[in-house]
Parts: sequence; C-alpha cells; structure tokens
Amino acid sequence: MRNMKTVVEEQLETGSKGKRPVRQGLVPQRAEFRNGNEAAALAARDIGFHLMGYFPITPSTEVAEALSEMQAEGTHDIAMVAGDGEHGAAGICYGAALGGGRVLNATSSQGLLYALEQLPVQAGTRVPMVLNVATRAVSGPLDIRCDHSDIYFVLNTGWIILLARDPQAVYDLNFAAVRIGEHKDVRLPVLVAYDGFFTSHQKRRLEVFDDADAVRDFLGEPESAVTALDPTRPVTFGPYMNDPDLINNKVQLTEAMEAARRVIPEVLAELATLTGRVYPVVDAYRMEDAEVAVVLLNSAAETAKEVADRLRAEGRRVGVVSLNALRPFPGQEIRDLFRNVRAVLVGDRGDSYGAGNGNLALEIRAALQQDAENHTLVLNRIYGLGGKDFYDADAEQFFAEVLETAAQGSVDTPFAYHGTYAGDPATKPLPGLPAITAEEVSRGMAKVTKDEQSGRLNVELEPLWAMTAVPCRVAPGHGGCPGCGIFPVLHQAYSVLEGDLVVLFQTGCAMVVTTGYPHTAHRITYIHNLFQNGAATMSGLVEMYLERMRRGELPGSPDITFMMVTGDGGMDIGMGPALGAANRNHRMIILEYDNQGYMNTGAQLSYATPMGHRTSTSEVGEARTGKAFHHKDTAQIFAACHLPYVFTASEGYPEDFMRKVAKAQWYAKREGLVYGKVLSFCPLNWRTTDDAAEDVLQAALDSCFFPIYEVEKGHTTLTYDPDAVGRRRPVADWLGLMGKTKHLLGPDNAERLEDIEKEVDRRWRRLKIMHGQEGL
Amino acid sequence: MDDTVSLPHEDRFFELRFESIGGLGAHAAGQILATAAVLRMGLNGAHFSSYGSEKKGSAIKSFIRLGPADKPIRTSAPVESPDVVVVFHRALLSHPATVAGFRANGTLIFTGPPGEIPEGLGRLPRTAKVIRIDAQRIAAEEKSRPNAVLIGTLAEAVPYFDADVLLQALTDEFARKRPEAVASNEAAFRRGTAEFEILSGVGRAEGDLPIIRPDPFWGYQTAPLGGIILNAGSTAWNDLSTSRSGWLPVLDVEKCIHCGMCDMVCPDLCLVWTAEGNKPVPDAVRLTGIDYRYCKGCLRCIETCPTGAMTREAETPGLAAELTQPLFPQLDG
Repeated sequence: MRNMKTVVEEQLETGSKGKRPVRQGLVPQRAEFRNGNEAAALAARDIGFHLMGYFPITPSTEVAEALSEMQAEGTHDIAMVAGDGEHGAAGICYGAALGGGRVLNATSSQGLLYALEQLPVQAGTRVPMVLNVATRAVSGPLDIRCDHSDIYFVLNTGWIILLARDPQAVYDLNFAAVRIGEHKDVRLPVLVAYDGFFTSHQKRRLEVFDDADAVRDFLGEPESAVTALDPTRPVTFGPYMNDPDLINNKVQLTEAMEAARRVIPEVLAELATLTGRVYPVVDAYRMEDAEVAVVLLNSAAETAKEVADRLRAEGRRVGVVSLNALRPFPGQEIRDLFRNVRAVLVGDRGDSYGAGNGNLALEIRAALQQDAENHTLVLNRIYGLGGKDFYDADAEQFFAEVLETAAQGSVDTPFAYHGTYAGDPATKPLPGLPAITAEEVSRGMAKVTKDEQSGRLNVELEPLWAMTAVPCRVAPGHGGCPGCGIFPVLHQAYSVLEGDLVVLFQTGCAMVVTTGYPHTAHRITYIHNLFQNGAATMSGLVEMYLERMRRGELPGSPDITFMMVTGDGGMDIGMGPALGAANRNHRMIILEYDNQGYMNTGAQLSYATPMGHRTSTSEVGEARTGKAFHHKDTAQIFAACHLPYVFTASEGYPEDFMRKVAKAQWYAKREGLVYGKVLSFCPLNWRTTDDAAEDVLQAALDSCFFPIYEVEKGHTTLTYDPDAVGRRRPVADWLGLMGKTKHLLGPDNAERLEDIEKEVDRRWRRLKIMHGQEGL
Repeated sequence: MDDTVSLPHEDRFFELRFESIGGLGAHAAGQILATAAVLRMGLNGAHFSSYGSEKKGSAIKSFIRLGPADKPIRTSAPVESPDVVVVFHRALLSHPATVAGFRANGTLIFTGPPGEIPEGLGRLPRTAKVIRIDAQRIAAEEKSRPNAVLIGTLAEAVPYFDADVLLQALTDEFARKRPEAVASNEAAFRRGTAEFEILSGVGRAEGDLPIIRPDPFWGYQTAPLGGIILNAGSTAWNDLSTSRSGWLPVLDVEKCIHCGMCDMVCPDLCLVWTAEGNKPVPDAVRLTGIDYRYCKGCLRCIETCPTGAMTREAETPGLAAELTQPLFPQLDG
C-alpha cells in the first residue's frame, strides 16, 4: 500500500504540470458517466445518509430525483422527506440532524436564500449535516442559471463551504463533508457548492467507490455527544441566550472554524489515500514561478487552466488559483502563494453591490493586506452572472489584463464588470400588441345577479361562440408545451372577467413560458413574485390601490380587479402567505391551476399530487409505488378560512368554470378574497398524448377524484354530481388513462388502488353531505 | 472495456452538436452516445444540453466533447466549432445559428424526406459532408423515435464510432427503462445505418463557418430599469412552427358550426375569428382559420370539435404557409 504522503505529493506535482492522470486509487473504484447532481446522489447512496429533507429547485432538483429513482429500485434506504418549501426542508433537516443521524439536503439560489434563516441556527447550535448547492443566480429578475450570488449569502452563517469544480469533486467532497462536519473539534454543518448546469448537468467520467467496507471505515459511525432521541439523557437544544453569553457562543463557533483549518486537509489527505485524488485547500495551478495569476471559483477556473497551459507554452509565467474550501477562508495559504506574484485578477461570479469588489476579491485583498511585505496588485472583475458562459476567450482577456497590469506596475481599473453589453441606441422595441381597453373586455358575457332570498349569486352566460369576440389578455406566441392546460384556464377566465385586471403570477410554468425576456405574452399589467410570497405581494398591491383611491391619487379612479395565478406547487411553498391573505380577506382572487405536480422543474411531487402517482421524486419501482401520501385538499383549507367564495373547477367544463369566475370577480370586488382551484391538463408529465385532455379531465370528475363545487358564503354546492347523472366510474378508469398512473392498475398495486378509491370516496361522500345541508 | 478508439485530432477535442426541439430525444441521444464513448470506447468525454426550463417544443442544443482517455476535459463551455452537427428537425436549418462554427470538413446529418434539399444547407462549407436521413418517417414506421435512427446514422457516418457498440448502448439504455422498446429501437437504428443518402454539392461557403454569439436585444444602457417589459403582448412576434411534430389541424369551414368550443381549449390561442353585428355581444361569429405561426400541433381542437370540422393532417412542406391566416396582420407589415 502506498503511503498517503506519496500519493498527495505525486498528484500535486503531476497536477501542476497540467495533467490529471488516470490512475487507480488504493481502493477498488469503477467508472461511471455522470453529472454533478448524479454524483451527489451517488455519494449520498454510498454514504448511506439516514435522511434527506429537500424541496425541488433548478438546477439541484436532480439530486433528489436520482435518489428517488434509486430508492424505487431499492438501492438505498435513505428516508426522503419532501418539504413544503426550502425553509421547511431546512427545518426538516435540522430536526433530523438533532436526532443524531446523517442528514442531506440539496438546493440552489432562491431556495438557499429561503432556507438562509435556518443556517446560522444550525451552525450556532453546532449540528452537522451536508447541504449540496448547485449554484445559481438569485432573483430578481428570475434566472435559473449559474453564478455564485447564492453561496455568497452563506459566507456569514458559520457553515463550512467546500467547492467542487467538477462531478468527480462533487462525489469526493461529499464524503469529506461528512467527516469534516462530524469531527469532534468542528461539529459544524457543511455546504458543498458546485456550478449549476456547468457542473450539475454536465456528464463527465466519474470514479465511484466499489468497496462498501472502505467507505464505512473511512466514514466511521456518526458520533453525537448528545441527541434529541435519548430520553435517558434530557438535553435542552437552543436556549434563550442574550448578552453576555452569545458572544462567547460565537467564540466557540470561530474556534470550530479554526479547528476546521486543521481538520479539512487531514480528512482530504485521508480520502486521497483511498481515491488517489487530491484536493488541496487552495488549488494552485502552475503557480510555482508565476508572475501573475487569475483567481476563479469552480468551473471557470478549469477553463482558465486550459488557457494558462497555452500561455505557459508561449513562455508567459501565468497561473490559476482556485479554492476547494471557501469557509474557513484560506487566508494564510493565499498570502504564502501570492508573496512573489506581481498581479492577480480575481473573478467574482457575483457582486457585493456597492462594496466596489465581489466577495472573493474582498477576502483576498483582506488576506494580502495582513502581509506588510506583500505588493501584489489586485484587479477584480465581475463575470458570468446569470449563467453567462465563460469561454477560453474570456480567460484570455483576464490574463491579458493582469499581464498588462504587472508590466506597467499599477492598476488602471481596480473593479469592472466583464462581458457586458451596453446596447445599441438604435434598438427599438418590437411594438407589441395594442393595449386592451376595459370596454373591449366588458361585454356582459357573464351576467351576475344576487338572489335576495338565499343571498347567493346567479350567473347567466352568453354562449361560448359569443366569447370569441373578447380579446384575450394573454397573447399567443408563448412557450407553453403543446396541449398545456394553463392557457385554456387563463383564456376561459379572461373571457368573463370584466374591466381592468392586474395579475400576479407566482413562479411556475405559466410565469416562465409567458415572460421569457425580452418578450411578454401579457397584454395587461403583470407582476411576478417568487411562489412563497405571491399572495402577500398581491395583498399589498390591493391595499395600496384602496389607499390611493381613498386619497384620490389615481386619476380616473380605475376599477381594477386583482388576481393571483399560481400552480399547485405555489400553494405548497406559498401556503403560509396565501392563508395570511385569506385570513385578512383582501379583495383579490387566487386562481390555482392544479396540474398535480411541480411541472416547471420537471414533474416533482407536490402535495396536490395524488397518492401512488409517479413523479420524478416519487418514482415507481420494485421497492416503491409512487407518491406515498394522499393529495392535499386545498379548497377545503381555504373554505375553513370562511372566505366569501371558494370553488373548484375543471378546464374541461368551461361554462361551469366561467360561471364561477364571474362570481369570483363579484365577490373579490365587494367582499373579499376568493380562492379557486382548476384542474389543468399536463400531457407531458401526466404522460398522455397532447390531445387527451377531454377524456382524462372527464374521468377525473366522473371518478370523483376531482369534485367540482363551490362554497359560497359558507354554503357548499356540488356543480357536477356524476352519481346523479349515472356517470360515476371507478378511479381505475381515470388512472388507466395516464402513463404516470398505469402501474396502479397492476396486480401488485391492488391494495394501493383500493386505498385511493376509499379515500376519494370518503372525501366525495363528505362533500355530498355538505351539499345537501344548509349552513355547510 | 472495449479497445480504445483513436480520434482524428491530437491537439483538440472531437466535438458534436445536436440541434433539436424539446421532445425529439436529442438530449437522450447525446447521453447514449457520450456514455458509450466514455464507458465502452475508452475515450474521455463530456455531455450536456442547453435547456433550462422543462418545456416541450422549444429549441434545445445538446453537446458532446470527446478526447483521448488521458486528456482532461476542463472547459464547460458549449461546443462552438463542431465537427459534427445533427439536425433533428429540418426547420432548424433555416436559422444560421444551427450551423454556426461548423468546421470546413465537418459532417452534417439532417432529417428530411428523400429528394428535399432545404435552402439553409447552402450556408455550409463546400467541403462539408452532408447526410440526409428520413428519421421521422423511419421512426414512425418502426414505432421508435427519431433519435434511435439518428444514432444509427451517426454510427455509420462517423468512422470513429463502432455501430455495434452504439447499438449495444442504445439497447442497454432501454432494457432497463422500457424493455418493450428495445426491438423497435434496434430496427430504427439499423435502418439509420443503412438508409441515409450522402448529398454532394450543397454547401457553398469556403472554410470554417464563423461562430455566432448574438448580442442580447437590450444592453445596460438601453434596457428599461428593473427588467420591466413595456411592449405588452410582444410574444405575438414569435414563430413557434417548429414546435409541431409532423401534424397540424386543418379547418374545413364547410363543416364548422362556429360553436366556439375549440377556442375554449386551444392552448396556443391561434384560432382566427371574425365577429359580425353589434358589440358588445356580437350577432354571430365565424371561425375563419388558424394562424399556424403559433399552433404547436397539440390537436386539442380536433378532440373537442363536435362536427369533425377540424382534422389532423401530415405537415408537408409549405402546407402551413398555404393555409395560415394571420391573427395580427400588422406583424407582417
């Protein structure tokens, strides 16, 4: 067996000459061809975490998807808990970690920010876990591609941050993360960050362990001095702690970070003896006699190494510096490395707006400033935001700038954005379509009258053909999938909504496919906010409207209706603010298109996904049969808020839906909040043909899976009763029509099918009882 | 591991780019090919696609970068100077970006019916090898997908690929997930290796084609602050014809009773109506046609039509242009 030091030194030497050699490590490994997310999932499988708490967000979602697929095949037994949002997922992970086992999470961007509040809690109470972050730009506007603006928010949380430059590093560093975080002198949670899409979605050759014993020996057993699951030893986690104590708690945390400076290289060296792969805390590439260097994190540094090789071949003394650990920040290593370097260019894939430097540049400048002998000139460039590719040509320009700076001995431009576009002053926007006037869309297509006796509303609809004369408030040319039900939902609603309308779309398919910059499909005023907060945002706008109307500030006193549009996913993560808005009873409509999953991110389960259905996070295989719990009854939750009007509808019953929308507008303008849920076809992820909507939607209603009804002033009325018209069918008739549910009709799933039928029938019978009773 | 394959260039990677529409299987094809190259041919490789959100029908590029086993792959950037371009949907040939950066001696494989030479091919270098295969038709006949056919054609057209290895990779991929598809995919693959035509004299350009990196519409000196969009409804300028996968609905006005039901279910909002009589509620309306610029071919209008006035037709070249009725005539001005 080769000793550790030899391997490390050898690799460092070879690495510095520009080759990452293919070689056997000291334990058996086998080759795979996988991307960064899959690498994280394979590491999770091989580590055997006890639990993963997660919430889907691009581009990290695939970690949970890959684990779900492996779970269905029976290749691991990690408990997978789908959070109601990233904040919830972080809470699930924290609680699980307090229980003493090994815990995993994966997220990105806004998900990381939504979880952020929990991160210092976990570090401050010293509870280890591993969080994979496929880095992505933070909103707004919303951008799903890579930069480092998300992980920069984590710098002050007390988490250790490891950086993984390629899928292999993602795999390897997950093992290291477990050991580092659990070390008795450290006891901190660890984040492993890799570039969204560039690494998360790019497949590369990957060596994975083929020796479970070696993995077990390396990891050891998780050791917690205390856990929340040992009643013989009562412990209080998270006391109320003010001055003079909190500052001392933070000294302990700082000491843990200092210990991590020692532990991280130890663990990485030990890992290297198993794998043959070396990760120095600071990755110094061709720096031995370098006069200048470019400093970049993760995938861009790899591109720069290619260019450095070419420049070296031309005799230029250039190097590339990258980090494998960002927290604790390797200040001493940076000082040592740059002692004789004349100039460095630090590239930040994220700005600290107003600081005059990105975070990496700030920390490098701070590190160098502590060395009185250091005279390195530092340039900072903000590059690659929002997923802008980093090509060889970009690295070439960085080297050219830093070489010139070294040559002239002074810095001309200490800070600048790289790769931007000023724009052409001659550019004129495409004219768009003419504004839709209130008159054009106020044609009395639905006449609403109040029945004085019952206190409820009646609606008389014009025939469907007449409605074709109403211009649609959403334009064609949007990017929705063929057959998408969202647009029929919108078109039907817009056909009867009168007057001026302002809409807010929560994050989701409808938002993404209608507003791909620089175009919009919306012909009326439209707002996006992230789906954990749309209802609150809309309620704020409603109250501003009412207040400015009261003050006489809105000329012409426009009569505006406010509607929030959301998917069923948005009613998971955004449930709290939506219920808050409902309890405050603002004058607005919440319209949910329910396509039974997080379709925008690739069909993960939502709480509205029915039991047993296949999604990409509730896979079907020998060991699992789709989603494990029943669908959320969102309409009844809102009914319990005692709103003036709650309804369910189907895009397959346009007239019924449009009557309800007309009532919704009447109530939202006079009495308060309305919630409506509409069943919306999704051929791509229901796995049907694009033109199967009618049959599938009808079967969902006939089987009573999706009862359509309204709760008007507390009075429940079924608006379609398949029993009454002799059309009641078993749920199997509906499930058999979709690829995502066909497995439920197999002999192995008879029990599960019966369970679904029973639950559907129980909810249906309950509604029927309410339907017949005044006051329910 | 099989015997190591030698690639033609020692100083650079061998790079492929698939140009496609979401749903045609370009990403899966790239994955099968690259996996086979790395795990079965002894090469180093990378594979990724340029898609973001999970939508069917929008443009997607899939990239494969191959090199010798001991050459590290460090760049993550898209393939800009491809040795091979595979075009999964022939309509994409009308965009210059489809063949941007194409190498002078590169190979272009496109899917199209026999006899047809799409105009965009003229942009190719004179020295390019151009291959036509009717992948859509073969896939339909074999109950497979175009990607299985195109992998077959690639196996034959690129001398460094071994057809047996690629077929095995294709089979293994499906044996796990959809065993019922293995036989039909093999048939499609084999026809892909055999039924292609090499076209000569189509390219007119000299040397490597230039790389295209288009500037965004707005820049920081011109874009409205905060990312707002002031031109309402501007998606009306988009042309989504390439989202259709071989079929389109055709209206028979004689059979239409103008009931409006299709309008309620059309996701693409592409039906053209004229109203007669007084506003606000018209006396009558007429469905006059379809603006195929927006129609993605889902055929929900056919499903819902009570009189059979909408029928499914194969989209032959020029059919949509012949039948289309503009919803917004001002866009054509």
